[in-house]
Amino acid sequence: MSDIEVRNLTKTYGTVTAVDDLSFAVRPGTVTAFLGPNGAGKTTTMRMMIEHVVPTSGSVTIGGRRYREIPHPTTMVGAVFDSSFHPRHSARDHLRIYAAMGGYPDRRVEELLDLLGLAESARRRTGGFSTGMRQRLNLATALLGDPRVLLLDEPGNGLDPEGMAWLRSLLRDLAADGRVVLVSSHALSEVQQVADEVVVIRKGRLLAAGPLRELLGTARAVLVRSPDAAELGRLLRRSTHPVEATGPQDLRVRGLDPAQVGDLAAAHGLRVHGLASEHSSLEQLFLDLTGDRTCA
Amino acid sequence: MKPLLHAEFRRLLATRLWPTTLLVAALLGGGLVGVLAFAGPENFQPPMPGVHTEAGVRTVLGFLGFTSFVPAAIGTLAVTSEYRHRTIDCTFLFAPDRWRVLAAKLVTYGVAGMVYGLVLSATAAVALFGAAAARGVRLGLPAGTVIELLARVGVAMAAYTVLGVGMGALIRHQIAALCVVIGYLYGGELLLLMIPGVRELYPWLPGGATAALTDFTAVADALAEQQSSSPVHLLPPLAGALVMLGYAVLASTAAMVKPMRRDVA
Repeated sequence: MSDIEVRNLTKTYGTVTAVDDLSFAVRPGTVTAFLGPNGAGKTTTMRMMIEHVVPTSGSVTIGGRRYREIPHPTTMVGAVFDSSFHPRHSARDHLRIYAAMGGYPDRRVEELLDLLGLAESARRRTGGFSTGMRQRLNLATALLGDPRVLLLDEPGNGLDPEGMAWLRSLLRDLAADGRVVLVSSHALSEVQQVADEVVVIRKGRLLAAGPLRELLGTARAVLVRSPDAAELGRLLRRSTHPVEATGPQDLRVRGLDPAQVGDLAAAHGLRVHGLASEHSSLEQLFLDLTGDRTCA
Repeated sequence: MKPLLHAEFRRLLATRLWPTTLLVAALLGGGLVGVLAFAGPENFQPPMPGVHTEAGVRTVLGFLGFTSFVPAAIGTLAVTSEYRHRTIDCTFLFAPDRWRVLAAKLVTYGVAGMVYGLVLSATAAVALFGAAAARGVRLGLPAGTVIELLARVGVAMAAYTVLGVGMGALIRHQIAALCVVIGYLYGGELLLLMIPGVRELYPWLPGGATAALTDFTAVADALAEQQSSSPVHLLPPLAGALVMLGYAVLASTAAMVKPMRRDVA
């Protein structure tokens, strides 16, 4: 049992509510993407999972326990937040310090330096590391205890395309191993390639949670080009289908497939010059849900 | 607790700060005492009692007390550098019981402070005895007493290191903590003593407790002279050491009540 259960979680700072009655669950064996615009409360929520931030109300449990109650917590949970290294420590020093703190043998440090491609840089001071190397060292630290749950806050930041591909395959492998992998990211197209589940929040509130495939299914739309777009739009709205005018002759229609839209137009003698299924993307879903063009 | 101590010792030894600190201890101990003893306090302007007198030896060793800002500053860094470099995120992930983190740092830096004090005192002893032998002067205090006084200086250094850890945990901001600790040691307490009535508290203040511990009574004597009143009675040495540790415990406890419990965001 290593599920994350977030129940009615709320965090307020003075008059600002960062997280507002948030509830969702993250299951093992999946990569779950945690999405929301800047300031949506993702990092605050993730920090409440490991009790870096104390909730105002509500609770988070991992495997049925609060973080502090988990014996040898880093065997259960590994977390990656902003890079946090002493600039004068080498990568090996950094890992050896936390290996000692977790009670893990030094050979685990060497294994992780190899696994994350840091062996050649092990003696270099972290102050001179590139962002990508810092992300790798962050991940190595999180993996010291071979944890069942990984909380990764923007782990792809600063990684080049090759690094992203490597990260995706690492996340896949970790999830395939039956682990819980919760990853917040603003690189939506990258997340789409790896996420099984998504949790979307805005202003600290839950907007959607569930399997990515199902959510993308509900978000599918039909793009219609018609000289009679205004008339067709009125007709569709009357039949309660969500319609968005994207141009003088262009409509975006949800809840119908292209054939249904074509039939409806023909039945009312309206001209249709173009009809296409919109390629459903996580980015589109995200924008539709958050109603926000700034994604993070 | 053992893994945390292991980690803290690794952290302490991971940078060049620690060997550099010990080098500073040797320079301050051996160097400062060596120069003073070689030059001879009787040759200072104004002249002071020479090392052939008890007062002269006490004066030379008393200068070591003024270097307590070094271990205090090193102790301060124990917690503040974790907040500055954000390694506190990782530390609290690996050790969610925050009081254990602070306790491990207090113990580690207590040991480090003892080592610092040992290097300072040992090099000072070598320099003092060496200078006396080179100048053919017989010290004004028996060797056993000199060594006891130096040992007490060493313990005072360890106490200041631990006090620095507590103050760093309380203040958390590196520069602010250094300013408060060093500012207090180099003037704050003397300013405090100008307030009428505070003089009576001197034996219980860090400076008074250090004076009791190191048997360096210049400030206490000056206070008595300045106010032409009865001498200020310092605490016994052991009580002085306990008062210093008390301040460290007080600062650490205060740190655990609020600052160390604050959200790490």
